[in-house]
Amino acid sequence: MKMDLSVDLGGLVIKNPVIAASGAFGYGREYARAGNIDWFGGVTVKGTTLRRRHGNPPIRVCETPSGLLNSIGLENPGARDVIDDHIPWLSQFGIPIIVNISGDSYSEFSELARMFSDCPEVSALEVNVSCPNVDSGGMAFGTNPGACYRATKAVRRHWSRPLIVKLTPNVTDISEIAKAAVEAGADTLSLINTLVGMAIDIHGKKPVLGNTKGGLSGPCIKPIAIRCVWEVSQAVSVPVIGMGGIFSAEDALEFIMAGASAVAVGTALLVDPYAPKKIVEGISSYCQSHEIDSLSRISGIAWK
Amino acid sequence: MSSLQIFDVEARVLSVTKCQGNAYSAILEAKEIASCAKPMQFVNIMVRESRDPLLRRPFSLSDIEPSKGTIAVTWAVVGKGTELMTKWQSNQHIKVLGPLGNGIDSEFFHRAEKLILIAGGTGFAPLFLLAKTARQMNIDTTVLYGAKSLDLVMDSRPLQEMGCLVRIATEDGSLGTKGLVTDLLENEIDIASDKPEDTAGVVSVACGPLPMLAAVKSELSDTGIPLYVSLEQRMACGYGLCQGCVVKSTRPEEGYYRVCTDGPVFLASDVDLERE
Repeated sequence: MKMDLSVDLGGLVIKNPVIAASGAFGYGREYARAGNIDWFGGVTVKGTTLRRRHGNPPIRVCETPSGLLNSIGLENPGARDVIDDHIPWLSQFGIPIIVNISGDSYSEFSELARMFSDCPEVSALEVNVSCPNVDSGGMAFGTNPGACYRATKAVRRHWSRPLIVKLTPNVTDISEIAKAAVEAGADTLSLINTLVGMAIDIHGKKPVLGNTKGGLSGPCIKPIAIRCVWEVSQAVSVPVIGMGGIFSAEDALEFIMAGASAVAVGTALLVDPYAPKKIVEGISSYCQSHEIDSLSRISGIAWK
Repeated sequence: MSSLQIFDVEARVLSVTKCQGNAYSAILEAKEIASCAKPMQFVNIMVRESRDPLLRRPFSLSDIEPSKGTIAVTWAVVGKGTELMTKWQSNQHIKVLGPLGNGIDSEFFHRAEKLILIAGGTGFAPLFLLAKTARQMNIDTTVLYGAKSLDLVMDSRPLQEMGCLVRIATEDGSLGTKGLVTDLLENEIDIASDKPEDTAGVVSVACGPLPMLAAVKSELSDTGIPLYVSLEQRMACGYGLCQGCVVKSTRPEEGYYRVCTDGPVFLASDVDLERE
């Protein structure tokens, strides 16, 4: 029996709950050489800014115990090029496309929302108020409820399709930020972005990363992500996309039981192109053996 | 960027040998990769199924045998991942993603009349395969090989047997010329520049540490001999997703190139080889 694993994320309906996380999928072309885009319920493309960004100087990645520190710095070709070149190519697969947008001002967020409004192939926007690797904007919008409200509102005004706000864990009370995003009109929340971290090269006696600090991802942040999903999903009434170190179906099910409606995989794609296939199959067989006919029945089941 | 398929193969370990030069070499059965891989391409290897080490480890191919369905990788132990690889058992299966990167295609061999390959340290391993391929196509090939000392020099006799001219330099003089590989290169250019017709059709390829590549680039800058460099960088996915393994372009408007998909082989004039 083929399970129905579809979920509704505030109007964005996806055929299975596994989404490619922004920043670990590029715009799909490279991934398609090794994996199958059709394995995903939805795909989130690389954080996109109004103008092209070259990103941060190397070294940009560094492995830590069960984790990955990165400081890419939002390298991307800019919204115009994404709309003209990448989205048309990616849309051939018929998988819902989520565009992660990052502005360094409220007016840039508005401008990005306007531009993507004219692009019918884009199913949802994910507002990035949580990138730790850029000097202006980025995480600054996601660490203050007022700023998060205004950034979300700036997009909401010009975007009528499903709107996701991606939250940072680098705050004292993530639920407070989550509520501000929902109040400003977010249909769905995604969490968590990376945790700010550092590593030192003891031979060179300096930071490993070219940009000094980076964002930590991978299995080592999973317990923090689970805790954040647990808190946020009980504090707001909109669906939550859980992410942070998901490598297996068991990891994904933990997130769902903590309150997520869907999950995203990032670092796992960098290690295993087949990860989404294995995770979807694993969730499906869990649901079959436990006679679960809809994932909504187990979303947040651990609260009780 | 090539649009060819990348395979994630459950490769069978056929052998792991400790070889000359304090290096290890493994022969892996990976038919899909062996059938289409090119010299100077690489593979990204899951050293063991675990979350630590988390990432795969990238290695240039040091040999390809399409008829046997095998590839080889050669490495020096530099950390946890490379240490674990020395413990691989014959017949165990490991996940190998590849072939990755641009590599050097057959057109290159049609253009080159003579090759000068410049190797530093473990950079010798991928150039070994390039030299072997060039000799199979009957291209006149000189290999200049620099290492710290005798105990770190890998076995170059097979290349000599294939008809390569091999010159070795060690920093302490324990084997070959005392000095750096650039000293060998200087000598080579001096000989060639006496007869300008000798530099026509010469193409050079270098692989080794960044300071060596920068010195080679500077040495060859006024000679008219095109230089390709094969780069290393801290890498995560190896197939173009994360944009982690970049090198700065010499043209500011280009920003950065990805070593994994735009490279690892670049025309030296396209990349900034100075340390960040």
